[in-house]
Amino acid sequence: MDAASTYDMENRANQRFETVGVQSRFRTPRARIAADTSLTWWRRILPVVISHRATFAGAISLSFLSLIVQTVVPNVLRGALDNLSLATRSSAAVAAAHHSVLRHDVITIIVLGLIAGATGYVGRRFMFATAYNLESDLRNLIYEHMTWLSFSFYDRVQSGQLISRANSDIRSVQMYATFAPQIIVQSFIGVVAFGFMMSINAVLAVVAMLVMPLLYLVGIKMRRMMFPISWMIQSRLADVATIVDENINGVRVVKSFAQEESEVNRLADAAERVAWGYIKDAQFRGQYAPWVQNLPQLGLSLVLGVGGWLVIGGHASTGTILAFNAYLLMLQAPFMMLGQLVMMGQRAKASAERIFEILDERPTITERNGAFDLVDVRGTVEFDHVRFGYGDNPDILVDFSATLNAGETVALVGRTGCGKSTVARLLPRFYDVREGDIRIDGHAITDLTLTSLRHQVGVVLDEPFLFSVSIRDNIAYGKMDATDAEVEAAAIAANAHEFIVKLPDGYNTVVGERGYTLSGGQRQRIAIARTLLVNPPILILDDATSAIDVHVESEIYAALRTLLAHRTTLVIAHRVSTIALASRVILLDEGRVIATGTHEELLATTPLYAEVLAQTTVEAQ
Amino acid sequence: MAWGGGWGGGGGGGMFGGPHTGSSNGLPFGGIPTELMNGVNKILATEPEHPASDLAFTQLPTPDEARRLTLPLLLSRHQGLFVWGSLLTILIALFGQVGPALVSIAIDHGMLAGHYHLDIVLWCAAAYLGSAVSTVVAQRISAVVQGKLASYIMRDLRILVFTHLQRLSLDFFTEEKVGVLMSRMTSDIENLQQLLQDGITTFAQQGLTMIIIVAVMFSMNVTLALWTLVLVVPILTLLTIWFHRRSEAGYVRSRDAIAGVLSDLSESLYGIRVVTANNRQRFNINNHRNVVGNYRDTNMYTGRINATYGPATIAIGILGQGLLLGIGGSMVISHHMSVGVLIAFFLYLNRFFGPIQLLVQQYNLLQQGRSSIIKLRELLAMHPSVNEKPQAETLPRLDGRFEFRNVTFGYDPARPVLTDVNLTIEPGQSIAFVGPTGAGKSTLAKLATRFYDPTDGAIFLDGHDLRDVTLHSLRSQLGVVPQEPFLFAGTLRSNLRFGRPEATDEEIDEAVDLVGLRDLVTRLPRGLDTVVHERGQTLSAGERQLLALGRAFLARPRVLVLDEATSSLDLQSETVIERALDRILEGRTAILIAHRLTTAQRADRIVVVDHGGIVEAGSHRELVALGGKYAGMYQSWIDAGGRDSAI
Repeated sequence: MDAASTYDMENRANQRFETVGVQSRFRTPRARIAADTSLTWWRRILPVVISHRATFAGAISLSFLSLIVQTVVPNVLRGALDNLSLATRSSAAVAAAHHSVLRHDVITIIVLGLIAGATGYVGRRFMFATAYNLESDLRNLIYEHMTWLSFSFYDRVQSGQLISRANSDIRSVQMYATFAPQIIVQSFIGVVAFGFMMSINAVLAVVAMLVMPLLYLVGIKMRRMMFPISWMIQSRLADVATIVDENINGVRVVKSFAQEESEVNRLADAAERVAWGYIKDAQFRGQYAPWVQNLPQLGLSLVLGVGGWLVIGGHASTGTILAFNAYLLMLQAPFMMLGQLVMMGQRAKASAERIFEILDERPTITERNGAFDLVDVRGTVEFDHVRFGYGDNPDILVDFSATLNAGETVALVGRTGCGKSTVARLLPRFYDVREGDIRIDGHAITDLTLTSLRHQVGVVLDEPFLFSVSIRDNIAYGKMDATDAEVEAAAIAANAHEFIVKLPDGYNTVVGERGYTLSGGQRQRIAIARTLLVNPPILILDDATSAIDVHVESEIYAALRTLLAHRTTLVIAHRVSTIALASRVILLDEGRVIATGTHEELLATTPLYAEVLAQTTVEAQ
Repeated sequence: MAWGGGWGGGGGGGMFGGPHTGSSNGLPFGGIPTELMNGVNKILATEPEHPASDLAFTQLPTPDEARRLTLPLLLSRHQGLFVWGSLLTILIALFGQVGPALVSIAIDHGMLAGHYHLDIVLWCAAAYLGSAVSTVVAQRISAVVQGKLASYIMRDLRILVFTHLQRLSLDFFTEEKVGVLMSRMTSDIENLQQLLQDGITTFAQQGLTMIIIVAVMFSMNVTLALWTLVLVVPILTLLTIWFHRRSEAGYVRSRDAIAGVLSDLSESLYGIRVVTANNRQRFNINNHRNVVGNYRDTNMYTGRINATYGPATIAIGILGQGLLLGIGGSMVISHHMSVGVLIAFFLYLNRFFGPIQLLVQQYNLLQQGRSSIIKLRELLAMHPSVNEKPQAETLPRLDGRFEFRNVTFGYDPARPVLTDVNLTIEPGQSIAFVGPTGAGKSTLAKLATRFYDPTDGAIFLDGHDLRDVTLHSLRSQLGVVPQEPFLFAGTLRSNLRFGRPEATDEEIDEAVDLVGLRDLVTRLPRGLDTVVHERGQTLSAGERQLLALGRAFLARPRVLVLDEATSSLDLQSETVIERALDRILEGRTAILIAHRLTTAQRADRIVVVDHGGIVEAGSHRELVALGGKYAGMYQSWIDAGGRDSAI
């Protein structure tokens, strides 16, 4: 339905709140995949191909020109050889005349050769330019698209799958999209060659091309078989990629449990299935491809038989046989490639479908028309009868209602898995509620622009992900133009400055892919600094200090206390020390609010609260 | 993988279930047309049951695995197929060159004015037809042989590289980007598929064809053959050398560029939540455009070289024909050669240049394949920093006595995290490491489990230096629960079973109850068969930790290491875990790292780590009485509202 929503989102992207900073030297893709899913796969890709029409047309026309020139050569040769046949029978007196004709023919051929080379060169330059620009476009399109997709998509899709689709599948589409027209152009040589052959000797021309319709039949048969097999291979390759991805990311678990052997065997099984797929693929190709490739040879044998008969009957010359040989031979290479083309076409089709599957995913979280920016935030947050669950899982929040007053710090407490983090993810609209409303300063968050909402609501996620850039850039991730002083101030507030300056390159230390070289607590502190730097009026700390020891935690909160003074803060925590920071506690259980009040009030009135904090389960040792 | 369905276990493919298909039926594809489904099912019906792989994993590579990776080495493992493939290749090349000879014979013996012999012409044509059909048959067999050869080699290679990855140590994985490793295992290996499947055969076949053609030309007319070679071959050789040099450099660059693209892509995907929360989308899109653009530029470079080489050979081919016409024509006019021979020369010259065009195409494959092999070779040459000694002994069933002797360690040796640590953990004792973040607590645990080796000093377990025992015998007796629980794509059940695949359903149920996962399991509609994966949100951070604990409990290790394994749990769940620990730890050694002093308090002994060393050690009571660092920490914990489990 709303096919263009991602792109709308991008177009709407809000200069005011957005993180900008890098300008690309390369231009944006000028066209996108056709949104109409009922179109065939190549029709859907077509707009992107057409956006490179200038180079593409140049490539096609020049390659075509080059081919035409090449097809003229055998004709010139034929004339020359017929001239020579005459020479063998003539006297030495006219040899001089034959020589001058010969010289003229040689010069013609040399000129043709130079033209063929020059046009071929320029044509291919264009062709490669088209191919690689197309590939970049596809890569960028997929990346852009994935960037705007909602969390619910990433919840059910593995990264290994996406990487495999955004890489090997793009390549197979790109190869086909550029290779195919080239081959088709080369196959045009067939038409041209046929024309020349017709002009030389119509009967022989028909005989020579007699076997060609076979090509069409074999092509259809191949297509029917190759598509499913290609699709199967691609999906099995993605399985392999997924296992590798898991083993790289989960290397500690694999090693901890000494499960290397079973993982190697798991991969070996997947590799075996890939191997079987390729063998099956080879068997299918073996059935059809050789026929396609050798059709010109079959034609040649007919030309020799029938042509010889015509020569003997005086209806053709031996030069004609040579010319026909040359023309049919010209078909050899395109025909070999035609076989490949059919295969590649099927592979590309399977790959394209896999890419479309990503591109047809729509962000579930979108801005409505007329959404406005959230500015001058006071910070009242209301959850109004919110019902929510992930994907098609049952509700995790059943009827959640709560109000956070402007400038208030509220702690959200509950058992493991009761939906605390879910509340944190609903406010910045990482997910949309199933029912009910969430309002900030009285505005439903669905009426607000996403960039402004997420700019004003800062979340420190429970999983502190760091990018493999410098610590400075990690802290300034949400505010690229921050000064060094600002970055440092944020780091000091998050109690991270002290350990950062002790690192070999201080703030310029590049942390590993997943920030492994830092301890869990250090990573959490950088994540906190990252959010503090943006200075959001509404702040959510989702168990953001779980790996930090109490001492440091209390220092962080001491710093935060002043920082939090005028902002609405939702703290999710298990520790009484963290809860103590809040003026009010909301107790969550079974998807609804059980009680609210100060820590002491809840302790006194609600047994569940004490139970969750394990205050009553104290037992003497 | 429990995805069911008839997809030959293609389980991981089922991720796009969700709204379109419902992931339960395991269909990896949203809208597959039914006719395709039938096609796939028909193919799968012919798939035999692959016997489950039963490969042995050894930390030290076998001599066979340790050999330098080369194409011949890979080929030599499937000699039978290789020999067959080569024979067929030669046969096909020979069949291919019969044609021009037959044409030449037919012209000179059947079609010369006044000497017409239709029977000779027809015999030649029939022979030609025969050779063409034979070629088809030979190519058909060859396709299957080559397909098998390529597939088996690819399979071997995937296993070889993956096995090597498993051998490498933790430091390697922290230094190398996931995307780069992914590209080694995926696109670098996939590059070779095409090469092995078509490339090598085509190469051999076309190369052979060119040699045969030269031989035939010499047999027909030495002078003309010499002229042809002198005029064409030197230029062609020079051009080819130039092409080879330039394009090789180009391909290596483009392999690096694609690895860059992949690592940017994968990092963006893993960090997508942070990206979205920080409104970084447009920035990242621009940045990715630069990375992709860089890759495009390297491709353009190789494109330029290819665009020069291909048409240049075409031009040379045509120019060669012109010169051949000039020289050969003069010879014909002066009656030194027959027209038939000259025609045959032209036919062969055409066939000499035809292959070159194909070779150029295949050459790209070859180059890509070569650069992939170079990259893979680099990876295979990496040595694990934590490795087994060749005569490493198998560690017997553990009692669990750890002894750190003068241990010094730094991830960067110049900057030690721990200095001269001495510590003994008695069998059956539970010990808690406490101290400020970054003091080296986790590092101590990583040393005890030999994820890293000490820079100086040694660690003994039951009197064995950790470096003298096999990694498998060590780690299979240790259970580590890291702070960040990792989930594999699969069901809750398979995740729990990870450390001990043979665990029964009863044992799994027991573990579920033990760690307090029962509530979750009952809540989920599919219970233990619910599919989860690493970054999915079906489970909360706390539930993941419970799952990781359950996994460790189920594995029944002799020594248990909990590295902040309960940090995301509410206190009630933590209490459950603590009780479970009491039961599980019966007689087992345990190393606990915790910020919550409640956990530490229950340990037999508490070790305070700070400034790269052990500051104090003793029981909770002793340390509180001591009034040192721990007493201070404890006080601030209680002041902050911490729970005292000893009251």
